[in-house]
Amino acid sequence: MKKIFCISLFWIIGCSTVSAQGCSDAGVCSVGNSFEKERTSKNLIETGSIYGVGEADVTYLSSYVTYSRELNQKWALSAKFTYAVANGSFGTRGQFGDAYLISNYKFDDQWSLLSGFKFPFTTANAKINGYSLPLDYQASLGTFDLILATNYQYTQWDFNLGIQIPVFNNNKNSYFAEYSGTNDFPSTNLFERKSDVLFRTTYTYRTPNKKFIFKPNVLFLYHLGEDSYENIFSQRETINGSDGLTINGNLITSYTLNSVSSLELSLATPFVVRDIRPDGLTRAFTAGLLYKVSF
Amino acid sequence: MKTILSLFTVLLVFTSCEIEGDLTRDAVEEEIDNEAILKYSGTFVPTSGINVDGEVKIYQQNNAHSLKLVDFNISYGPDLKVYLSKTDSPSEFVNLGNLNPNVTYAIPLQVNLADYPYVLIHCQQYNHLYAIAALQSN
Repeated sequence: MKKIFCISLFWIIGCSTVSAQGCSDAGVCSVGNSFEKERTSKNLIETGSIYGVGEADVTYLSSYVTYSRELNQKWALSAKFTYAVANGSFGTRGQFGDAYLISNYKFDDQWSLLSGFKFPFTTANAKINGYSLPLDYQASLGTFDLILATNYQYTQWDFNLGIQIPVFNNNKNSYFAEYSGTNDFPSTNLFERKSDVLFRTTYTYRTPNKKFIFKPNVLFLYHLGEDSYENIFSQRETINGSDGLTINGNLITSYTLNSVSSLELSLATPFVVRDIRPDGLTRAFTAGLLYKVSF
Repeated sequence: MKTILSLFTVLLVFTSCEIEGDLTRDAVEEEIDNEAILKYSGTFVPTSGINVDGEVKIYQQNNAHSLKLVDFNISYGPDLKVYLSKTDSPSEFVNLGNLNPNVTYAIPLQVNLADYPYVLIHCQQYNHLYAIAALQSN
């Protein structure tokens, strides 16, 4: 059964060529559990860079750093900062993206609760040479989001259920497809985004020598409504087909360098997508290299 | 620890950039065709604390209208737009896009110009009106 599951996941990752939404930048699917079983130190720093292939000809390099601290056996806090560079026909644009402040509370060895906020560093209105850019080129969506999630661990399985709610919208994007010279991206002038719910299941396999850990996981994201924007006639318009389900497959391979540090390779791709993905989170494929050190 | 933070900083510095692409090159100044007919014009008046000079002219050619800013200068704003507006405040308007005096703005065909007697320069990001031009029929 395990083999079938792993082989299926490899096949999905290897064969999928769809261009579709990858994991939401916005956090609930990328903010991890601050408690790690093997960790003996209270502090953890994680940094990584992720290469992504997006809509049309856009490619991304996203970097981040996370600091986590276990306050006691029940509570942990973490702070994460992101930076992203997008490159494509509009040019190249790099910016700081978002900051996340997250708290974890562990009820017992199986259950934990995560809550926190995402704070944007931008209003999602970065331009190049005075030209407005689609959200695909923006490092943040410009929304202040509430993030709530719970994690249940059962033997080698992890189950996450979460929700990400934009509570304050500071998106000032001013991109109109009509004025851009391309139809590759939908208009997102003064974009308003709906919430996401997430369910993820992860299987963890450790090699006997404990040098390698494999974590295949499947991520279900449901966008709870249709996003909207203000059209050129100053009327708010919903973006049909921007709601719905996205399913991502992800394989994390972790290599233990020593007792305090490890390297991770993360490969992901979606295989079920929403019809329209105006938020610029679209990825056909991502590959990330992460480094973790505890102290 | 220091090494990690240094490497991360170096990574950010080397990836921080803004480079033009095919769709964001400098707009070439477009001239109005000699056969175009001047239909409306107006002179910009600034709002409080703003400096502005220049005029707006709307031409008609082959049933299409285009808007041109003439001898135009204005105080800096981070997100200035050109609006065709029904009133002298930005409530009901047609957003013609980012302000660029070199650009000739094509007015959408479905717009009835008689309904839009004002041209506004408005900072969308901070919702601040910069300048108003009342259009006169020529």
